[in-house]
Amino acid sequence: MAMHIRVKREKTTYFVQCDPTETILDIKQKLHTLIDQPVNDQRLIIRNWSCIRGFQDIGRSKVENDVIVALTLRKDDTEFEDIKINQPDEMHSPREADGF
Amino acid sequence: MKKEETVKLISAEGFEFVISKEAAMVSQTIRNMLTSPGGFAESQRGEVRFPEISTVILEKICQYFYWSLQFVNGKETEFHIEPELTLDLMMAANYLHT
Repeated sequence: MAMHIRVKREKTTYFVQCDPTETILDIKQKLHTLIDQPVNDQRLIIRNWSCIRGFQDIGRSKVENDVIVALTLRKDDTEFEDIKINQPDEMHSPREADGF
Repeated sequence: MKKEETVKLISAEGFEFVISKEAAMVSQTIRNMLTSPGGFAESQRGEVRFPEISTVILEKICQYFYWSLQFVNGKETEFHIEPELTLDLMMAANYLHT
């Protein structure tokens, strides 16, 4: 595995190993084994709000080694939850991570 | 990557880092916890708590584990360390035998 990404949600970070030739869907399947959430209920967002989707190559979607990716989960049929990544120094008033 | 192949490291503030066991075992201390016969409670639950390591340092350490795996495989890149983290990082590295 040539690289890893850091997938963050609330207080948890998942280090996911991947190859630039894999797709975003592959990442979601790896997350599925860790968090028991079907791939359709996951949304991955990189800096500047770009949502990274299904069959894109990792290499072509500007996802680089060690990059931080926000994970959000489906709330109901139509909506996903907002991005929430807690920061350790302000646990009582979590703000959204820089750049998101 | 299966769930059994990962381990959860928990920082002083209760933040969780889920990494592969292979990466975690870059640390001799964690390797001992996960592989000793009879088993620490840690190896059964797949969770290790570090009440003395802050979240920022623990994340840096996890990044180091993955960097280290790449390095031994011949991919030599630089590992960036913020100067203000150096002291805490050295103390944690000493504790973890990393």
